[in-house]
Amino acid sequence: MEFAQKFELYACLQCGKCTGGCPVAMRTPLNVRMLMREALIYGVDVLLGRPEIWDCTTCKTCTLRCPRKLEPSEVLIAIRAKLVESGRIPKNVIDALEATYVHGNPWGRARQKRTEWAKGLGVKEVAAGERVELLGFVCCAVAYDPRLQPIAQTFAKVMAISGVDFGIIGIEESCCGNEIRRMGEEGLFEELKDSNKALIEGSGAKEVVALSPHCFNALKNEYRLEGVRAIHYTEILEGLISQGRLPLKGPLAKRVVYHDPCFLGKQNGVYEAPRRVLEAIIGTAPLEFSRSRETSLCCEGGGGRMWVEGTGTGVRNSEIRVKEALEMGAEVVATACPFCLLTLEDALKTTGLEGKLEVKDILELLGEALGVEVDR
Amino acid sequence: MKVVVCLKRVPDVAEVDLQLDPSGRRIRTEGLPYVINDWDNYALEEAIRIKERTGGQVIALTVGKEPDEEVLRRALALGADDAIRIWDPLLEEADPFLIAVVLSQAIKGLAFDLVLTGVQASDDGYAQVGPMMAEMLGIPHVTLVTHLGFEGKKALVRRELEGGLEEEVEVELPALLTIQSGINEPRYVSVLGIKRVAKKEIKVLDLEALGISPSEIRPKIKVEKLFVPPSGEGAEILKGSPEEVSDKVLEILEKGGVI
Amino acid sequence: MAEHRQGQLRDITFEMLKKAQGLSEALGQEVHTVLIGEGLSEMVEGVRPYCHKVHLVPVEGVKEFEGEVYQAALTRLIKDLTPSLVLIGHTAQGMDLAPALACAINSPLVSDCYDFGFREGRFWAFRQVYGGKLSAQVEVEGSPVIVTVRSGSFEAEGLRTLGGQVVSWEGPVGVFPYKRFLRFVEAPRAEVDITQAEVIVSVGRGIGGPENIPLAEELAKALGGVLACSRPVVDKGWLPKERQVGTSGKTVKPKVYIALGISGAFQHVAGMKQSGLIIAVNKDPKAPIFGVAHYGIVGDLLQVVPVLLAKLKERKK
Repeated sequence: MEFAQKFELYACLQCGKCTGGCPVAMRTPLNVRMLMREALIYGVDVLLGRPEIWDCTTCKTCTLRCPRKLEPSEVLIAIRAKLVESGRIPKNVIDALEATYVHGNPWGRARQKRTEWAKGLGVKEVAAGERVELLGFVCCAVAYDPRLQPIAQTFAKVMAISGVDFGIIGIEESCCGNEIRRMGEEGLFEELKDSNKALIEGSGAKEVVALSPHCFNALKNEYRLEGVRAIHYTEILEGLISQGRLPLKGPLAKRVVYHDPCFLGKQNGVYEAPRRVLEAIIGTAPLEFSRSRETSLCCEGGGGRMWVEGTGTGVRNSEIRVKEALEMGAEVVATACPFCLLTLEDALKTTGLEGKLEVKDILELLGEALGVEVDR
Repeated sequence: MKVVVCLKRVPDVAEVDLQLDPSGRRIRTEGLPYVINDWDNYALEEAIRIKERTGGQVIALTVGKEPDEEVLRRALALGADDAIRIWDPLLEEADPFLIAVVLSQAIKGLAFDLVLTGVQASDDGYAQVGPMMAEMLGIPHVTLVTHLGFEGKKALVRRELEGGLEEEVEVELPALLTIQSGINEPRYVSVLGIKRVAKKEIKVLDLEALGISPSEIRPKIKVEKLFVPPSGEGAEILKGSPEEVSDKVLEILEKGGVI
Repeated sequence: MAEHRQGQLRDITFEMLKKAQGLSEALGQEVHTVLIGEGLSEMVEGVRPYCHKVHLVPVEGVKEFEGEVYQAALTRLIKDLTPSLVLIGHTAQGMDLAPALACAINSPLVSDCYDFGFREGRFWAFRQVYGGKLSAQVEVEGSPVIVTVRSGSFEAEGLRTLGGQVVSWEGPVGVFPYKRFLRFVEAPRAEVDITQAEVIVSVGRGIGGPENIPLAEELAKALGGVLACSRPVVDKGWLPKERQVGTSGKTVKPKVYIALGISGAFQHVAGMKQSGLIIAVNKDPKAPIFGVAHYGIVGDLLQVVPVLLAKLKERKK
């Protein structure tokens, strides 16, 4: 009963708008409308054994669409939290959580190597006692994955070129905890938040810029930062471009379609900044998917899905997306989220579209437009 | 059933460039991440499962300093009833024999049915403490246990041999078993779970409390020095025709004890 | 201690004999071998030529290894023969026996050594620590020294003939009803669990197509290992999910990981970087896998693997 009261389950109309907008509802047994009902009638414990609990990407479409302002996505996260307390969670989730606890990142990479991407770039580190105006929050995946490191490297170079007093935390930066919380580990999230918050607030920075929309979401909505505003990198770039501080070499001749990441777009309302940046890079507005902005098709990379395969079979959303891009004649799918990038690029491989289409982060395209070289 | 489980906290050295301390006999531990020894984690999970199945108690022990209590907190969070940490400055250079001495002394009066340890520790990998404890306690032991069942006052276990072969062994309780990884799927222990047991008492025993006199503390083996085994940085690229590289690969596999 | 199972002497026995022979020469001490249990007369000729003496300890009803029995037998023998060094394999038998034996006779035990000897009367041993990242030189106090020897540390070749004597020991060893070997069990093969394999041959997209996978599987079999793969191979339906190594698959820590046509994408590497020995084959010299592999071959796996396989088969003959 406590659970039902906490999430106001009795207020649920069972209208089905949640499941109707759920990106995995057609491919998996996950039926969040039904979960809301069953949690009320039978109590949440009967739901604990359902494997589809881990299919949810926490895109939050259900919550955003609920006419009663209920939060089905939070109900689902709360179910996961109970599973975490019981210890009975998928092995991959255990590994990701334990790795985050021990090493500060869910990939299990050594904390000592968190800033290797920045070698030779002369990036200031606030943990070393420096203070900066703009603090960068790098993101575990971007820091460690060679495919994603160019995102951070390009951003650092752009900061240098435009003379922004920029710096990062350094190896003391830990996972933002966005996915950690969404996998149900509240306690670990709080610890990560406390640690990062102290470092961010102590940096002297007025703004903290996140390279990943997932980090952006946590910093902006869940950290309650004091005296520091959290923004996404596209917002910084938009500003720099409109001030003419970026020496763009001239438009990149590429047909680019923009994919709105859930954590940037529908959850946090950042739609224009990435588009304006792309327009400055390619000289024209980017192509649009029919499902874009608020209705953008979730790539299925969030909510722990980078570690949990999911129960679904059949064509993945990411595969649908890249095929749509090809059909509309795009050469590049641009995105502003490292998880979207990895998931969509994976889809290129499984659909055999490698060589016919590319997936790039907006920063990678910007790097090309600026003639900035990074190590690949 | 009363189960005693012995745990060790070890450094996670997967991606670390290990540095030696000035003595050359130990590694520098500043900044190293620590985890529960993998094998001990399986042993702990097994102990908790036995408690869940048969009722009874689980008592967790470790030999170490205060930070090592982390593994005991994990045990308590999982439902262990008691936790004991053993430490004395004289144990700084302890070898497996001494560890076995102090652990055995700590538990010998506890009227246990079963003692579980991991097969070995991932830092030094001696695989000695368990069977030595059994010998000192005067109870039978079985190592490399991959499956465990009970029949009255006996344990029916499977142990891992080489090449995919296993054997079934029957042993009378009380007995000591060293647990092989993969015997079960250890559950997750949440941060909140650990917080909830933060106030639970952990008994700390030194040599005096154990009734061991310092003169009895003589390690039998000692690390004289640590050194980097000769090898290269990054992949050593093997050059040549398929014939030549294949020969080189065979040599490498032989040296590695694979073929 | 000669190690045997199901009536056959195991390789570790000869590896230890090889090292013992070398030490024997250097120290001017004899090599004695101990054979315990049943069916000893069939096995004795396998070791007798290579040592100075073979001690047979027949124990009725104990055909297969029983720790208590072996411990009792060795305790008696060690007391009577006063060796300076006792060699046991670091195997399932040795790991069960050696620590308890060492304790019972109050001797130092250095386990899992890959080399050892005496220098100016002092014993030394080398063993790996921290997952092989470092080696340790160990010294001991007490005698005899018991050593368990890591498999594959010494070559069981070129053993000298020492023309050994056979000594049969009489008398009961003891009865130990509280611990009994019951039977052997073949590990269940119902489902493939790559996480328990010691040797893994893993394929990535570079394998080209499902038609080439049997080749990799053969290599895995020839090495006594299992086949695994990276995510794209599963996604393409060439191998089942249970074979996948990586962050959304399984994490493996085998003794050997052979990566064929795997680029070494981050999510894959996370699942296998703790492997003991990593050998990678890839056409791309910049493939990230070479950053984590110990040995690399820049080339076409479809050219290299058949040759490697042929040589392995020949070697077995």
